Amino acid sequence: MTATADRPARTEAAERAERRRRRVPYLLLAPGLLWLLVFYVIPMFQLGTTSLQEGTLETGYRFTGNVESWTSVFTTYLPQLRNSLLFAFGATAIGLLVAYPLAYAIAFYTGRWKGLFLSLLLVPLLVPFLLRTLAWRVILADQGVIVSTLQTLGILPDATGRLLSTGWAVLAGLIYNYLAFMTLPIYVALDKIEPRLLEAANDLYANPWTAFRKVTLPLSMPGVISGTLLTFIPAAGDYVNVDLLGNRTWTMMGNVIQSKFLVIVDYPAAAAISLTLMAIVVTMVVVYVRRVGTEELLQ
Amino acid sequence: MSENQDRPPGGEPPAVELVEVTKSFGDFNAVDSLSLDIGENQFFAVIGPSGCGKTTTLRMVGGFEEPTAGTIRLHGEDVTGKKPYQRPVNTVFQSYALFPHLTIFENVAFGLRRQGVESADVARRVGEMLELVQLSQVAKRKPRQLSGGQQQRVALARALVNHPRVLLLDEPLGALDLKLRKEMQIELKRIQQEVGITFVHVTHDQEEAMTMADTIAVMNRGHIERMGEPVEIYDDPRTPFVASFLGASNLMEGDIDGDVVVLAGGDRVRATPGALPNHGRVAIGVRPEKILLQPADEQPLHPNGLKGTVTDTSFIGVSTHYLVRTESAGELAVVVQNLDTRRFAPGTSVLLSWEPGHTFVVGG
Repeated sequence: MTATADRPARTEAAERAERRRRRVPYLLLAPGLLWLLVFYVIPMFQLGTTSLQEGTLETGYRFTGNVESWTSVFTTYLPQLRNSLLFAFGATAIGLLVAYPLAYAIAFYTGRWKGLFLSLLLVPLLVPFLLRTLAWRVILADQGVIVSTLQTLGILPDATGRLLSTGWAVLAGLIYNYLAFMTLPIYVALDKIEPRLLEAANDLYANPWTAFRKVTLPLSMPGVISGTLLTFIPAAGDYVNVDLLGNRTWTMMGNVIQSKFLVIVDYPAAAAISLTLMAIVVTMVVVYVRRVGTEELLQ
Repeated sequence: MSENQDRPPGGEPPAVELVEVTKSFGDFNAVDSLSLDIGENQFFAVIGPSGCGKTTTLRMVGGFEEPTAGTIRLHGEDVTGKKPYQRPVNTVFQSYALFPHLTIFENVAFGLRRQGVESADVARRVGEMLELVQLSQVAKRKPRQLSGGQQQRVALARALVNHPRVLLLDEPLGALDLKLRKEMQIELKRIQQEVGITFVHVTHDQEEAMTMADTIAVMNRGHIERMGEPVEIYDDPRTPFVASFLGASNLMEGDIDGDVVVLAGGDRVRATPGALPNHGRVAIGVRPEKILLQPADEQPLHPNGLKGTVTDTSFIGVSTHYLVRTESAGELAVVVQNLDTRRFAPGTSVLLSWEPGHTFVVGG
């Protein structure tokens, strides 16, 4: 005798409930999928076709399958591509070095002032991105405190030495603008670590430094990965910091795209450069995440 | 085990020795001038209600808290002020505190690797230890993939693999359900006897302490109220606190008249000869399971007899619990093994009696 043979036929109401239940996930997904289709898939497709067009604003653009826009990316704009990646790497690496101790201090040493320190970290975000970057023009100005201090210390050459309109200023601006996005995920990861785990490590003959390397650091890796991605990706596409703090030698891909779209109005080139930058960033992110923390992200 | 002053001169130093150790948090003395010796290879349990200072005491031995005053020695060596990683002790934490990012194997290997043990030796010793706690088959898994009982055993293996001279256990069974806890109690005792090292076990569960420990210290408000073998302190708790914390007790007061205590209602109760002070008021007690219950019209089977009325009866399978109101001693709890079918309904008049030797004195 098998169990199924005896099971009574399901009532029609049960069937209907079952069908409705199976529909629910699709209904929940529908708005999001629709959004992605209209505002992501279709524009990406358009961007792709635009990059293969030819023409000018006056004569109009026509699809010709022309790949010249693509080849120009690598023949003409390699320095800008290098700058973008250099700044993105630099801002991410130095930002991590600044943000990790900051997040660590907030998570473990601020006690009941934790909320205050977290809000101090977030308050600058209430000021628009552009204004924050403009403020750095004042901070790094030739007559400013920082420049004169560095000149006095002999780190910058007297009189001629400056920070504004240099690559260092761009780097400083990028680090500053994305610091909160680097710090917060690391803070969240550190804050979740049970103090008992560090006691256990100490109990098992790990001195504080070893306990940090073997327990705290690995457990904070999900935060480090999120933080570095939240810095690297927007920094690679940034153009405001170079515009306001840098000079022409340090022009990034973002600046090229901006001028191609808005100033020169060469849509095919702008589209090709955008897609190239996107592809490079995505490739790097995938390699990075796979190497550093597949498991942490999957948890 | 003995009090400090009883140690024979020239003998082996105790595994753990606390000398007038005090730990204050602000104005509050969590541990108050506590002195204690724990002998080699003992299974030593510290019990007490929450806030009595038992966990703080254990954490001071482990090095996680610094004593405000006093000295801590391990096998004669002064370790006061030493960091946890400099002490030859290991701890099994209440919440296990397993490293979530490491496999079971790496969790157990953690201490050995920090000590620089060669990796072939690490593999062998971890393998042996996982076998001891019967977890070889899960060596490659992560802690979250294990049940509570398995995680508990990993925590134990992770500590024991280092061959600590003293193992500290902070309520290690607190998170397990009753059945598993009973199994683990027996398991822990077996392992302790097998590895032969000193276990210091902190728990609020008096039954757990009595099941496993050679010696129990009952703590209350930062000091030890009573210390001894389980049977010894159960039968003679000496203070009202110990009498009611360790098992259940019926406490009553009366005036001493020779070797008899005269209770409020005039009933006379005998104690073990010599146990009573000479005169004055005294508090005495008797355990619920030591009292025999009979119908009121029978002759009492034991010398100490009181009359009473059953107010509550609850059958719990292995035994029946009664509450009996007496004139002399208020309401008494009585536990009767279900050896016969005779049961007393509430309202029944009964006779309670017990052996004088089962009357203990808990203070004047």
